[in-house]
Amino acid sequence: MQATLSKRINELLVLAVLERGPAHGYQIALSVEERTGGAFSLQHGTLYPILHRLETNGHVRGQWGGEGRRRKTYELTDGGRAELAAGAAQLERQFRVLLELFGGTHAA
Amino acid sequence: MRPEHPLADVERSLAVPPRRRLDLLEEVDADAEALQAELERRGYGPAQARRAALRHVVPGTESLAQLEAQHAPPLGRWARGTGWIDRVERFGIVVATSLAGAVACVTILGTGALGSAAVLAWPQVIVVALLAANWTRAAKRLWIDGDLRPELRRRLWERQIGLIVLAVALGALGAAREVYGAFGALEAEAFAPPAMWDAVGRIVSFAALGLSAAIFGLFGWLAITPRLIDDETMEHRISAFFASRLPHTSSTRR
Repeated sequence: MQATLSKRINELLVLAVLERGPAHGYQIALSVEERTGGAFSLQHGTLYPILHRLETNGHVRGQWGGEGRRRKTYELTDGGRAELAAGAAQLERQFRVLLELFGGTHAA
Repeated sequence: MRPEHPLADVERSLAVPPRRRLDLLEEVDADAEALQAELERRGYGPAQARRAALRHVVPGTESLAQLEAQHAPPLGRWARGTGWIDRVERFGIVVATSLAGAVACVTILGTGALGSAAVLAWPQVIVVALLAANWTRAAKRLWIDGDLRPELRRRLWERQIGLIVLAVALGALGAAREVYGAFGALEAEAFAPPAMWDAVGRIVSFAALGLSAAIFGLFGWLAITPRLIDDETMEHRISAFFASRLPHTSSTRR
């Protein structure tokens, strides 16, 4: 459960970063860390399985480019935008339930 | 000694088709370089920036396992999904054994292998089974794992050629032995027409089995050759990638 939730959060974080515009892998990794104030960090190449899974599912589009050497840029697709919205709403519901539960526990 | 590229270890341990491996190496290397430059701009020293960049982007064990699962060939993904991946080798052995069994039946019927011809007919059956097993191993690496490295590919090819030559030699030897026996019977004038047709049948069976094994071995390998050529081209490009990418600062993975 913990691994699944963390995987899901990481996917949504990547989609959220790409919502601002196309980016290279390293820019996505940096943005995730910066935008979450270091609370989330994609280290040891964890970014690539996430990006490749999102690409396979059609949520992001990877494009090779660059002058001289090949570099890959990712951009959000319409499917990815919908996935981000749906995922964020689902997470919000789940966390609200958890926070209510924890609040109840504290009150007791 | 020249320092090893930080991604060399990833290249060695990542069991995905060479085309995917090259894509990933190029992507990660370009990201590592760009991230290092960005971190240096932010005040990191070159060595410190390089270490931080590599820590971020070089895939660790868990990421490698995920990438392997994602980039396995469709058949491999299916086999992993259904849990058949561990049974594929055993399945290959069953197929090879069944094939050898079928060949054995044909051989017994054709050459009377339970009799005097057994010395050469049974080795032929074993050679056919070994050919099938060798081909199955190469095919499994290509279409299930997606990764047949040059060293193993060369070994399998050499074995395949050796077995083909052995199959042809055994076929020729068996046929020659039968011809010799038939001539001996002719000279002794103990060769009735039905016995002659038996001898012809045995000669043809030996030769046909040797030839069939050779054709099966060659055409089997020919069927996987386009993929092998493509893989070899990619392996060359991977070597060229490492040759052109000298590490900026010596660093270890993770």
